[in-house]
Amino acid sequence: MTAIQTTGLTKRFDGGVVAVDDLDLRVREGEVFGFLGPNGAGKSTVINMLLDFVRPTEGSATVLGHDPTTDADRIRRRTGVLPEGSSLYERLTGREHVEWVARANDVSVDAGAALDRVGLSSADADRAVGGYSKGMRQRLAFAMALVGEPDLLILDEPSAGLDPNGMQEFREIVREEARDGRTVFFSSHVLGEVEAVCDRIGILDDGELVATGTPDALRTTLEFGGTISVDVARVPDDLALERRNGVESVTVEGSTVRASLADPTAKAEVVAALDERTRVLDIVSEETSLERLFNTYTSNHRAERSLTDDGREGTRTEVAG
Amino acid sequence: MSVRTVASKDFLDARRAKIVWSVGVHYPLLIALFFLQVRLGSVAGPPDLLVALWNMAFVGAVFVPAIALVATYLAIAGERESGSIKYLLSTPVSRRDVVLGKFVSRASIVAASLVLGFAVAAILAVAWFESLHAAVFVKIAALTTVYALAYVAVAIGISAATATRSRAMAGALGFYFATNLVTLNDDISGLAGLEYVLNDVLGLGIGADLIQFVGMVTNPTRAYLVSTIGVFPDGMTATMGLPRPDELSWYVQPEIAAVILVGWLLVPIVLGVRRFDRATLS
Repeated sequence: MTAIQTTGLTKRFDGGVVAVDDLDLRVREGEVFGFLGPNGAGKSTVINMLLDFVRPTEGSATVLGHDPTTDADRIRRRTGVLPEGSSLYERLTGREHVEWVARANDVSVDAGAALDRVGLSSADADRAVGGYSKGMRQRLAFAMALVGEPDLLILDEPSAGLDPNGMQEFREIVREEARDGRTVFFSSHVLGEVEAVCDRIGILDDGELVATGTPDALRTTLEFGGTISVDVARVPDDLALERRNGVESVTVEGSTVRASLADPTAKAEVVAALDERTRVLDIVSEETSLERLFNTYTSNHRAERSLTDDGREGTRTEVAG
Repeated sequence: MSVRTVASKDFLDARRAKIVWSVGVHYPLLIALFFLQVRLGSVAGPPDLLVALWNMAFVGAVFVPAIALVATYLAIAGERESGSIKYLLSTPVSRRDVVLGKFVSRASIVAASLVLGFAVAAILAVAWFESLHAAVFVKIAALTTVYALAYVAVAIGISAATATRSRAMAGALGFYFATNLVTLNDDISGLAGLEYVLNDVLGLGIGADLIQFVGMVTNPTRAYLVSTIGVFPDGMTATMGLPRPDELSWYVQPEIAAVILVGWLLVPIVLGVRRFDRATLS
């Protein structure tokens, strides 16, 4: 069963800016789908079209089998939404926000428990939102999205403003919701949280979907070599490992030689080259982190269309952080 | 149901806003002042409540639109600018429900302010004046309420059609100037200009009644003022230099003016619903 489907979904804003370009996306019922992309990739515009905040220029979408442009209120009845960058009602308390959403959805809710679940105390619950921190607002918005046990959660940058602790709690709740059979669709530019909870990932860049798949499948299809760290007895001079095929960059830290690879077959070559010159003590092979995958993928994608300044294809990327 | 959830939440939010309260107390205060002026100012004979009520209508003509516009113009545009409209529209309410719910909420707040004003007026009428003129009083109160709601409707329409606070404010101020401040001075009103062009320049000889009718259709304040003429006894309107209703064409009678006033209540809401339904919220 399909929770969200888009077919050729396109949005051109006035002035010819193409925010979303011919997007075909399918999110199955019951899965946690991570919608990844850098800021400005068009993620929010896609979500805005799913919720009928913005009308598509071309193409169509269905959410829970309904067309947002004609049946938005039926979609909203079964969907919990956390919109991005929207302000709450400064003069209302957290409790009043949750109670209002419950009333609008025609469900009853234990507001105290709902807020407690996202980490807002009963003292917080009775304060006006005007005095909330950014993280508290985000927690409240998440609690509002969860009201009424919706079949689908659409969360736009849900971890924005959360501290690491808050992000951990957020992931925990997403897992609980997924265990209860709910579909979770959330956008993010933070890869760690997506890697941790998503069944499938779609990468959006510059309005185009550049890849979809499970985190594992994305690693494989991209044929990423990962990194290999080799502990050696003595680091040889003039190694020149970088010049070998499939080796992207080499760093030396103490007696550890660490090579980032574009091709996994280069691992053996690196080890062999070191083994020739010195004694190898330990070998640690690491798979590609999604963060790296993401960076490389989105920049490769751009490089396909425009060459980098020095005329070569821009396939070299730095590992973020 | 959905209209009610929008209205009740908005009412909760708006009644905590200081601006709404500070605007709301002005009307009762002004009524008290104008009644006091009539009470103290009548040198010959007993103070006449009808004059005080006429003042109440005139105070209303100027101040009621200001109260209605200020209390309402941000209702939707403010939420669009801050983005909170997305929370509102993430619940199962339609865009039409949002516009109607906001109207109900702001209309209740403005109506509450008017009722307070009428209560003050009623108490002062009994305490200071000899005859109560209950029928005139009730009719003026009713017409003023419809008049206020018409301006709430206009402000909701402007708020539904604009995406930012500043544009909503420009729209509300512009409407207030065009229909109110300008109307008070007949020489510079758009209507005077129209009459000048049609009759003095083009020499069409359009009658005053037709010009007046155009005025009522294009301006709720004029419709309100004409409608109040029917409330007062003929003798009084004559002393104020106003035309007697039986001298006027049928389409500028006070009753027709009241109907046009109701139109001013409905049409802006319909237009606002249609505009907001197609609005992009990003």
